[in-house]
Amino acid sequence: MAGRISRRRFIKKGLAAAGGVVALGTAIDRLGPALYAQTKPPIRIGAQGILSGPYGGYGEFGRQGGLLAVEEINHNGGILGREVEIRFRDEELKPPITVSNLRYFVQDWGADVAIGIDASNDVLAAAEVMPQLDRVLIVHHAATEKLNEIDVYQKHNQYVFRVCVPVYQDGIASALIAKDFHHVKRWATISPDYEYGYTCWKFFRQVLSHFRPDVQYVGEAWCKFNTADFAPYISKVMAQKPEGIFSTQWGGEAVAFVRQAKRFGVFQNIGAMMIGMGAAMDVLEGLGAEYPDGVWASCRYWFRYPETERNKAFVERYHKRWGHYPSYPSEMMYSCVNTAKAAMEKAHSTKTADLIAALQGMELDTPAGKRLFRAEDHQAVYPVPWGQITHDPAYPMPIIANLKVSPTTEYYRWPPFTKLFGV
Amino acid sequence: MVQNLLFQGLVGLTGAMYLWLIAAGLTLIFGVLRVLNFAHGSLYMLGAYFALSASLWMHQGFWPALAVAAVGVGVLGVLLEVVFVRPIYRLAIAYQLLLTFAFVLIFNDAVKMVWGPLYQAPPMPAGLGGSVVVLGRPYPVYNLFILLAGVVVAAALWLVFDLTPWGRAVRAAASDREMAAALGVNVPRLFSQVFGVGAGLAGLGGALTVPMQTVSPGMGENVVVDAFVVVVIGGLGNLWGAFVGALLVGLLQAYGTLFVPVFDLALAFIVMAAVLIWRPAGLFGRSG
Repeated sequence: MAGRISRRRFIKKGLAAAGGVVALGTAIDRLGPALYAQTKPPIRIGAQGILSGPYGGYGEFGRQGGLLAVEEINHNGGILGREVEIRFRDEELKPPITVSNLRYFVQDWGADVAIGIDASNDVLAAAEVMPQLDRVLIVHHAATEKLNEIDVYQKHNQYVFRVCVPVYQDGIASALIAKDFHHVKRWATISPDYEYGYTCWKFFRQVLSHFRPDVQYVGEAWCKFNTADFAPYISKVMAQKPEGIFSTQWGGEAVAFVRQAKRFGVFQNIGAMMIGMGAAMDVLEGLGAEYPDGVWASCRYWFRYPETERNKAFVERYHKRWGHYPSYPSEMMYSCVNTAKAAMEKAHSTKTADLIAALQGMELDTPAGKRLFRAEDHQAVYPVPWGQITHDPAYPMPIIANLKVSPTTEYYRWPPFTKLFGV
Repeated sequence: MVQNLLFQGLVGLTGAMYLWLIAAGLTLIFGVLRVLNFAHGSLYMLGAYFALSASLWMHQGFWPALAVAAVGVGVLGVLLEVVFVRPIYRLAIAYQLLLTFAFVLIFNDAVKMVWGPLYQAPPMPAGLGGSVVVLGRPYPVYNLFILLAGVVVAAALWLVFDLTPWGRAVRAAASDREMAAALGVNVPRLFSQVFGVGAGLAGLGGALTVPMQTVSPGMGENVVVDAFVVVVIGGLGNLWGAFVGALLVGLLQAYGTLFVPVFDLALAFIVMAAVLIWRPAGLFGRSG
């Protein structure tokens, strides 16, 4: 064994070297911004979303919206006279990764506020650690109603706010439209095999049956996560001869689902198809000319609604900056940053307790319209339309037209959440 | 009712052919080289990306894109075998697993760097985008084409391995590589070729998914798990076992969705466990 490094010594050396590299990295990380900061330290925003895989479009659109907001704010003098820094990390659709991103942001990088998060499982895990990290989390996209109704309202988790409409948009606003499809009496679903899929279908059936006791539910197909071949599900549901299909597939799976459904003749054989997140920009761009006309689709912000100067200016700046139209997570992340800014300016502080007090009941003018952050459940309230897919030569992708907007008093659930819908 | 059952079966057969195309290369490489190639799913993913690039960047049609994917990934497979796999044949099997798993990570990141992290959905090939009425209901022409492609690949493999001198040499090397070498077969070269063929099959399988599905980093990881189940059920290293295993798992997935939807994910694994208890070497595997 002479001449060889012993295992123990090898490990010791390796650890020492690794430790040195990490320490150096951290030092540069900490020192770097300080070198060019003029007088006050920057305000740091830690953002995350799904940045890879079939759902990666969501994180990417969010990243673009967040960056645009930060660029605009810094161009106009920052927040409270301080420069804003933003960092993005991939939540990878994994709750432990989401939580470790938050720890990194707060404990290693020194973030003043956390924003983002695309997936519901991830956001519920994140909500649990926010009190311990003592930072406000402003959620941009994850839409589970459990966040506002249970975590915030029932369990009094004060640290979490959300800018986007929850699953009320997918499950309740949809049913308020479907109730007027008098020719469609047999409904079925092809949706994701997890919480989001089940909750939306449950809301949809309850609200629809309230108005339309004549409606039947004839089939359900629950597609496992990362489904690539939707044929078994489509075939199963179509065997029941439904007249309407309600789907909450999203991202790349929505694209694959629609492409395959088309070849199974689904669209010729049913009277209505509703896809909750079917008007997300990645789905519109992914399907392009293949998106069948007339499909009912929605999202959590539609770039042509509302027709205000504020919204038009945002869309124009976004298009100029990134070369395509904003998807809904773009506006959500943009509004997260601006919500943090408004709260800090209202409170004249970046302290977590002050921000919470400022955010509760705050009203904010955003591209998606006037958002009211309910004090009871920290949920932003603003209306989002449903519409029908159409191909307009003025746009490089399909858009939704024939917009239907229900009043928020009708389709949001309201504290104490004992009634399904309405006030 | 019967028509609907048969229709679901047809759907299952198409699913089976997708599985067969990826399982074939996996089991071939194991059967001959005794290498359990974790990176097989990554080769499948690369096949999809090669086909995508051929149609989007080089503006090639569907058929040239398939060829680019199969040949491109096949050549990559040969390089992998010669440079990385060959030096570790003599070592414990754990080294192969580590090596091929490392390539899963490397290929995933490489794909993100070259093609970006987002999914892509290229257009449908002309002539295969429609549907025809089968058993009274519309069925995608493309899915029928996949059925045909699976059968053609199976027939081609049968012809090559049973009827050509090369196929006989491969079988000889698979059953006893020292004896084959003693009889004058250039075993190392043969191994590289087989690895290339296996990789090429994965590439072809990936390329065939492109028109109906979406292409994204990590897409191979989900599929390769199913492919492993198929291969284990059929008997590791047995091509016909993989074909039968794919049929079994494809039909199980289709009928599982229909009859036991709460359970459909677990169904294939339960069957795999049952097969392993009843015949530890798989349905067509040689015991011992």
